[in-house]
Amino acid sequence: MTQAQAQSERVDWEAGLVNRARAGDTRAFERIYREHSGRVYGLCLRMTRDVQLAEDCVQETFINAWRALGRFETRSSIGTWLHRIAVNVSLAKRRKGGQVESLPEDDEGDSGEWTLETPVEVREIEAAIDALPDGARDALVLHALYGYSHEEAAQMLGLAEGTCKAQLHRARRLLRDRLGMEVSAA
Amino acid sequence: MKITSLRDLPLDTAPPRDLWPQIAAQIAPSATDTARVPGAAGRMVRMRWLAAAAAVGFLAIGMWVDRSFLPHAKVDGGGQSLITQATPGAAATVDVAYVSDPRYQRQRAALLDSLQARLNALPPGTRAKVLASLDTIGKAKQDLESALGKNPGNALLQELLVNTYQDEMRVLADVHNASTAGEGI
Repeated sequence: MTQAQAQSERVDWEAGLVNRARAGDTRAFERIYREHSGRVYGLCLRMTRDVQLAEDCVQETFINAWRALGRFETRSSIGTWLHRIAVNVSLAKRRKGGQVESLPEDDEGDSGEWTLETPVEVREIEAAIDALPDGARDALVLHALYGYSHEEAAQMLGLAEGTCKAQLHRARRLLRDRLGMEVSAA
Repeated sequence: MKITSLRDLPLDTAPPRDLWPQIAAQIAPSATDTARVPGAAGRMVRMRWLAAAAAVGFLAIGMWVDRSFLPHAKVDGGGQSLITQATPGAAATVDVAYVSDPRYQRQRAALLDSLQARLNALPPGTRAKVLASLDTIGKAKQDLESALGKNPGNALLQELLVNTYQDEMRVLADVHNASTAGEGI
């Protein structure tokens, strides 16, 4: 079986699960949860930097998703849709604790592939990402880790695309300083 | 582990505990509400009655077979049929995947294979009661499956169908076990 075939079958399978869940089948929705909870939790954890808060965000994400399933368009990716909800929930939870910073816009563009000058331990990079300011970290996680385009990441974060790019520019500079090496955005 | 691209960072992080139970508790009322949308209400009530009829049919025949052919069943039953105890796994086999579970399918096929011979050995009155019970269950299954075809995600219909399959399996197992016990079947 080719990768494309496997992907197509996965999409069909997920669309079937989504349709069943929309009809009220909680077991189908649990399958969706089992399939996506790891990525959603990883995203929430990176955005909130708090295990308890990330757990709350995951729960709220899936509860909101269940309630909004009727509005989900099955031709879209359920994973991307869940990530959008997770970002909204995480941002809302975080807003309760502080102000949202603003940055000037930037027109720098890249493909989302961020490479390091030399190999670095995962835990060292994770620590460097963890230390980034919220806005820069959000943009970096969505764009450089999860692979969303500038436009998609900006839309998820409720920012202008230029502002999202400015946050990425800032994230790259801070990572470079922290890791002591060049971080290239291809 | 060392990496050179941020894309190589692991994105999947398992939550430290299973969060599904809390999510399920929150969405359960919504699932019930979905089953009560206008238009489905009448059908739902009818399904409940059909399932109840199948259950009553099963209970009647189960109790009758139990009393008539398995007097020792009362020794350690404590209200629970010995026949049910004699078929551990029957209920466990019938779960959400009742339609495709090969163990369930094999067990059901084996019971159906020998059903006619065992029915033929029953007294006419008993045979009629067993057949009536199976007929009620069969009709309930058909109606529930038909309703599920139109509303495949309805959790209540699914549960009723699973229960009906379990009832059918219990009747089949009761007939089988009663006859193998050599009590006149």
